[in-house]
Amino acid sequence: MKAELRGNSSSISLQNPSLFNTTQSSISGALKECVGSLDGACIEKLLLHFASALESNDVTLAQQVMWVLNNVASSIGDPNQRLASWFLRALISRAARVSPPTINFDGRSALQRRLMTVTELAGYVDLIPWHRFGFCASNSIIFKAIQGFPRVHILDFSITHCMQWPTLIDALAKRPEGPPSLRISVPSWRPPVHPLLNVSSEEVCQRLTNFAKFKDVPFEINVFEVPPLSTMDAGISQLGSSDLYDLFLNQLNPSTLELRDDEALVINCQNWLRYMPDEQKGSTSHDTSCRDAFLEIIKDLSPCIVTVVDEDCDLGTLSLASRITTCFNYLWIPFDAFETFLPKNSPQRIEYEADIGHKIENIIGFEGIQRIERLESGINLSKRMANKGFQSVPFCEETVKEVKILLDEHASGWGMKKDDDDMLVLTWKGHNSIYATAWVPCSYGVEY
Amino acid sequence: MAEMDISSGSNAENQTSDEPATKKRRNQPGMPDPDAEVIALSPKALLATNRFVCEICNKGFQREQNLQLHRRGHNLPWKLKQRTDNEVRKRVYVCPEISCIHHDPARALGDLTGIKKHFCRKHGEKKYKCERCTKIYAVQSDWKAHMKICGSREYRCDCGTLFARKDSFITHRAFCDALAVESTRPQTLKVQAVNGVSSSPPPPPLTPSTGVLSPVLSIQSSAELPENQTVHFQPQPGTAALSTSITTATTTTTVAVTASCGSSTYKRNINSSSGVFASIFASSTLDELAQPSRPPSSYSDLLCAMAGSECSTMDPMSLSLSSSLYLSSSPASLFPTTSQDPNRHYASSPQPALSATALLQKAAQIGATSANSSFLHGLGLATSSSSNPQDNAASATTTALSPSHWNSHMQLENSSFTPRLGPGIPSNGSSGLNDLMIGPSTSLFSNKPTTLDFLGLGMGASEASPDGFSAFLTSIGGGLNAAAASVGGGVSSVGDAWDDPSDRKTSML
Repeated sequence: MKAELRGNSSSISLQNPSLFNTTQSSISGALKECVGSLDGACIEKLLLHFASALESNDVTLAQQVMWVLNNVASSIGDPNQRLASWFLRALISRAARVSPPTINFDGRSALQRRLMTVTELAGYVDLIPWHRFGFCASNSIIFKAIQGFPRVHILDFSITHCMQWPTLIDALAKRPEGPPSLRISVPSWRPPVHPLLNVSSEEVCQRLTNFAKFKDVPFEINVFEVPPLSTMDAGISQLGSSDLYDLFLNQLNPSTLELRDDEALVINCQNWLRYMPDEQKGSTSHDTSCRDAFLEIIKDLSPCIVTVVDEDCDLGTLSLASRITTCFNYLWIPFDAFETFLPKNSPQRIEYEADIGHKIENIIGFEGIQRIERLESGINLSKRMANKGFQSVPFCEETVKEVKILLDEHASGWGMKKDDDDMLVLTWKGHNSIYATAWVPCSYGVEY
Repeated sequence: MAEMDISSGSNAENQTSDEPATKKRRNQPGMPDPDAEVIALSPKALLATNRFVCEICNKGFQREQNLQLHRRGHNLPWKLKQRTDNEVRKRVYVCPEISCIHHDPARALGDLTGIKKHFCRKHGEKKYKCERCTKIYAVQSDWKAHMKICGSREYRCDCGTLFARKDSFITHRAFCDALAVESTRPQTLKVQAVNGVSSSPPPPPLTPSTGVLSPVLSIQSSAELPENQTVHFQPQPGTAALSTSITTATTTTTVAVTASCGSSTYKRNINSSSGVFASIFASSTLDELAQPSRPPSSYSDLLCAMAGSECSTMDPMSLSLSSSLYLSSSPASLFPTTSQDPNRHYASSPQPALSATALLQKAAQIGATSANSSFLHGLGLATSSSSNPQDNAASATTTALSPSHWNSHMQLENSSFTPRLGPGIPSNGSSGLNDLMIGPSTSLFSNKPTTLDFLGLGMGASEASPDGFSAFLTSIGGGLNAAAASVGGGVSSVGDAWDDPSDRKTSML
């Protein structure tokens, strides 16, 4: 069901205006359809109705759809219902900002702070391969790329608080030739999204240092400051200023990062690029977006490898209606995966789904600079990287094998696709979820 | 001797052995019955699989009998040797390896299969390899047994959590509190976390036997729980052992863990009780513990349940309380004596000893009249201890006190013990309290007073037991018989007495 919908989603939004017919008949038509089977297609249509109601300021329609959706959605139902409930929240939140708010939803309070302990986070990233896939693929590539270098410096841009590194440290410790000297730098600012920790990044760094010491890997980790926002507490409203990003980008220079000449530089972008704004800042093609600027900057740092892992979905610039559909069809994936592993009323599951709910809220409820989740599919990213002067690094057999082994350990719904050697894609029941790629600047002369 | 073929070996060594062969129980391994016939096989003979060969078709058999039966098929004369009872002698076998301890006939092994396996394991080549790990085995059955469990739980963090996957293990390990040098806090919460716990619904309740001790355990724990303090229970950090024997541990309770203080007794006993207590511990409706604010402890609830009164849950436990708790009387020092001298609680009290039966009956009557109408709650065994965590020793030991004294009293009175406890104990469902009563009578009576009692407070407890127990009941007050006339007050005073552990202490003494 879902597969067909994905294919049709764009056509629905662009070519089928009747769907946005806001007369009573269409609503009752939708209702009639839904009575029989409350499946994802139904819900999607309802969501589209809602979106169009918002766009056309049709309060009556909006209310009607909300009423129906409210009856359909359930945070403890099947994946579609659960997803729908989060969509409903997001839409209501958006509507509240469009019209005088009856519910007190503001951008900031929506981000309820569910803080995890470090160990909980360690468990979180391993529950489903959503993150672990990227870790495994990237680490494997990095491991290969740094062979022969006695000193390695990793710039870690990620949202998972260094959860990626223990396995790399472990692998390096077991190298026959011994581990290199490893240094990791993380920015002090990260997007205000889940997962959030209840300890400071210093604590995380400390633990990682202990671990590396335990494994006899020469190790150093530091947090480079991005003033004035030196904590993760940047609320969405603060992101409203593009100055933040400029500040951030300004920090990415060799002196602040303390780059050293004898080190192999690795740049790891894991679930990061989508948080870099992509709006063109100026009117001329000369002005690049933040994302492009970011890529240029890291290219100029002469890394020996750049790993990019992100969610394989295009949610950047589409209209609300198509965003809704696309998002619905994409985020169904983790919901369905949770359904497979966790019981219906598991509090853990509800928490994870709430995290995704925040994401939905941001995707649907906000526009402009406040919409921080700007997903870009792997294909589009690859084009972008190529445009910016990167060439892709193919995945070798060993990496592919490692990832396969990882996926075998998870449930059978998870699979992997390899697109032309350049991109590994994690799939759930055939649907693309996460892509992993690796790049080097075109000028870099190393053969792989 | 290594080259000797099969022979009825000399019995020369038999006389030298001093084993008193009085008991008809199984001898310990390597300590053979002195009357046994010692057989020394050569390595070749030992490892030979088919010693009896059919002359017609050369088919080999392990036993003479089988060969004979086979010979029938060739129409050969066959004869089954009858086992002649008056001549039969137990055979023991020595290991052909000279340097082995079992080479000495005095340490011969009694089982042919046993000696074969022994020889292979210790002196043989390890030919069977595990695919998943690096272990190798000489005996095929060992190897098969290992293969069953290998890979199912591969990694264990120091904190006790098990992981099926290496990467999750490594990631966890890197950030686990257990690795943190300075940490002594009860992150041992993870001890209870068993692999996969988060994703699976809580398993069905353990078998009754495992449910038993949890209320008991929770007494002590709830005593200190509210502030997450160390429980006297003191399970060791190596209650990783504990946790592995726990199959249902889904509760990450502080009880289980806070004890990073090791108590060797506890650990030993946990292990010896082969997980009964362990599982109890885990399964412990440590849900109770998770809610430290709940005033009556789970133990009291158990008792309430057994008494059929208002409290919820735990009927299965009441049943089990009798059965397993008392059956496994040996590893009783579940609650090791705390560092503070528990004796002071038991310490001599001037009251005369009461017959156990009488005491219980009276107490039951008290219980019936008390507001909290469970028998043992009336006895004050219910710990309203949550109120006073600071007096850990007191509360822990005093709560443990009563059963211990109770037990020791049980030991005094074999014959006149009657299960019927009076109105306080409605005889519903649970054979509950009745069993509780009966239990001790059956199994504990055989224990010597020095045996560790129900809660393992044995030593001290049993020394001063008779006095202690009556003193204890004294504090309960009300309704006891003549000797207990000194037991003043009504139940309400009991409650008060129990609310304040210091009072408890004083009233005990």
